[in-house]
Amino acid sequence: MKVRDDSSAKWFKLLAYVVVILGCIFCVLPFLLILSGSFSSNESLITSGYHFLPRDFTLDGYKIIFELPQEILRAYGVTIFTTVVGTTTGLFLMTMAGYVLQRKDFKSRNFFSFFIYFTTLFGGGLVPWYLLMTKYLKFGDSYYALIFPGLMTPFLIILMRSFIKSTIPDEIVESSKIDGAGDFKIYYRIVLPLSLPGIATVGLFLALNYWNDWFSSALFINDSSKFQLQFYLYNIMNTASFLATFGGGGVSLSGGVPTESMKMAMSIVVIGPILFLYPFIQRYFVKGLTIGAVKG
Amino acid sequence: MQMYKKTSKWLGLAIILSMLIVALAACSGNKNNNETAATNPAPASTESATAPATPEGLDISKHVNLEFWMLGDAPRDLKKVQDEINKMAEEDLNVTVKFNFTTWTDWDQKYKLMLSTGQPVDLIFTADWTQYQSYAKMGAFLPLDDLLPKAGLKLQELVPQNMWDAVRINGKIYTVPATYKEYVTNGFVWREDLRKKYNLPKPVDVPSFEAYLEGIKKNEANIQPVAIGAGVQDSLQNMLLEIARNEVGQVPYGMFATYDDPTNMTSYWGSPEQLEDLKLFKKWMDKGYFSKNVLNEQNIIQMDKIINGTAASMFGDNPNRFNEILTKMKAAHPDWELEYYPFPLTKGYATPVHPIHNGFAIPKASKNPERALAFYEKMVTDKRYNLLTQYGFEGVNYKVENGYYETIGEESASGFPREGMHGWAWRNPEYMLFPASYDGVNAIFKELDKIEKPDIYTGFAENYTEYQAERAALEQVAKQYLWPLIAGRIDDVEDGLKTFMSKANQAGLEKVQEEYKKQWLAYLQEQGIK
Repeated sequence: MKVRDDSSAKWFKLLAYVVVILGCIFCVLPFLLILSGSFSSNESLITSGYHFLPRDFTLDGYKIIFELPQEILRAYGVTIFTTVVGTTTGLFLMTMAGYVLQRKDFKSRNFFSFFIYFTTLFGGGLVPWYLLMTKYLKFGDSYYALIFPGLMTPFLIILMRSFIKSTIPDEIVESSKIDGAGDFKIYYRIVLPLSLPGIATVGLFLALNYWNDWFSSALFINDSSKFQLQFYLYNIMNTASFLATFGGGGVSLSGGVPTESMKMAMSIVVIGPILFLYPFIQRYFVKGLTIGAVKG
Repeated sequence: MQMYKKTSKWLGLAIILSMLIVALAACSGNKNNNETAATNPAPASTESATAPATPEGLDISKHVNLEFWMLGDAPRDLKKVQDEINKMAEEDLNVTVKFNFTTWTDWDQKYKLMLSTGQPVDLIFTADWTQYQSYAKMGAFLPLDDLLPKAGLKLQELVPQNMWDAVRINGKIYTVPATYKEYVTNGFVWREDLRKKYNLPKPVDVPSFEAYLEGIKKNEANIQPVAIGAGVQDSLQNMLLEIARNEVGQVPYGMFATYDDPTNMTSYWGSPEQLEDLKLFKKWMDKGYFSKNVLNEQNIIQMDKIINGTAASMFGDNPNRFNEILTKMKAAHPDWELEYYPFPLTKGYATPVHPIHNGFAIPKASKNPERALAFYEKMVTDKRYNLLTQYGFEGVNYKVENGYYETIGEESASGFPREGMHGWAWRNPEYMLFPASYDGVNAIFKELDKIEKPDIYTGFAENYTEYQAERAALEQVAKQYLWPLIAGRIDDVEDGLKTFMSKANQAGLEKVQEEYKKQWLAYLQEQGIK
């Protein structure tokens, strides 16, 4: 039997649609401004500002970027490499951690869980972190500096632990033991395949963190051939920002300051691929937000 | 997810706090090390019988690698230049050098991290705007007094004695200053073609500048009379203090002293003079000389407005940047004209850059200080090193025609633009090359040479460890309450100033000002300035 809508339900639906549509518009409009700006001439951007349709249509912004394409292609290469390696390695480490922490026969699991959680409340600070990475681990100017810090994220470990606990009954583990499987075999042959949805979700969060990272490059990388894509973009913005604030000190930079048009084009080049990719993977994000929401 | 966001926000705060604490501890540690090192006499180095005798007293038997650090972005052809330099350096000094650049992203944070974590850096850029004075006082750099006769004799002779004395902190030399004399004093910048067109007065002081702005406002509907930008404290208040009140330098924390009477330091913040100035800015905003929304222009380069014609003037910029604006504007609009009038001509005196303005220091953690200094000496005094690191490869990156520097190819695609390694510190006037457009800057400099007086402000080394927390708090208060006042966004200026002063006093203004003044007066006495 169909539930009859009363008038308040109809109004609520209308209001809900309006709010969601407005939200979508607010998300899309800034992007359209950037897209339009990337096809406008620098002079028109400065003289008459940004518009939803390009004025003085030109491809100059993109020409400047691809004039020396090896730089941006190399940055893409670095980011893709660190994302793939970091995500793959991180998933193994975090699934192992999550699996172990949810095993009831692991007596110290509460201690270790708290220990991991504790690191989200108190950090060592920037200087000790910098010392650790550059002085003790000797990761300066190394890909390790781009991959290592993101491998174990407390939030994702806890998420993985919750997922495994709620998805895999203890009985499966026990029956595997009876059949003679060791702990690693249980993890690798039984727990891992059954955790694929959770792995996909955590993998996406992890990949997104790696893809968007720029701070590791800022702190630890000086070889420009190892700059991450986001840092490459961010640094172009910072060159302009530096000039805007420090001009009074007599600092003059030769060799081309990035134009407004070029910045917009650069943003499109960096954001574009993710935009194309997102529709295919968004259902995993939605599911990811609900995992662990119900205790079980 | 929400919990994660909250904790990460809290985490960020914790990181910042602990960073401050540890950074201070690290700097304090360096300070103690400095005192210890000063009391222990360095063992005299024995001259090896097998060492080449060229640099007398310098032991170059062992091969070393030097870490050279400069701020900003590296030029694309850096690797090629580095390889070429290393060929010469291995032959001359038995060293190889790696040129490192911080980029402009969080450069000040990286600078601090390198100096406070004991990272083995051999050569690093210093300037007044990188807080050379404070770092030197905290012991971040090695004193060069004993190293210079041993490893940098040519440098010692090249740099005038008064310049060495000017960079002393606590009586010691910690950086090698650049010898190129330039002015970064400010001056009015305006569209001369518009001035002629509407028969407006030439801006030489604030009233004539105001008249110019009023004329532009009346006659040009689509041109903003003056380009100001978000940094209103610099672009409005500090410019006014320079041109109209003869400020001794850009004194922080709202303190004020004049060049002629530097011992008389008072609080500009909350004073009747500041109220008068704030009302002037308010009037300018009300009349539409600059936009109501200047505080939103964080990332806009103001000179772009002049180059593209959306603004008609700037309330102060230095000769080099004026020349840059002029060159770029002329490239796009040959029929436009731009003029410049230096503030010093109105004030009656001009201060060339203080020797602290550009320099190179050897951090405390350097493992090869003698070789580092010897290498830097080569960069300054050896023409091959100097030209290569300043301009790149002749015939590939640049050419010289009629004595003028010219870029080969498009500047934006150049592998090594002029001074592409930001070699301001190791400029050598004997080898410097200039583009033809630089003649305008030199003409201004010649005029300012006639009324030259020394910079008595930049030599001051502030030590803010005692009021570090208040200092950070004041910065926030100024941005939140003072900047809107300067931008003319507060209707009741008098009431707004009272509010700002109330907040500033809560943040510890009195303590900061007292301590700063104490240090300032001690500095003046030590330098014999009255």
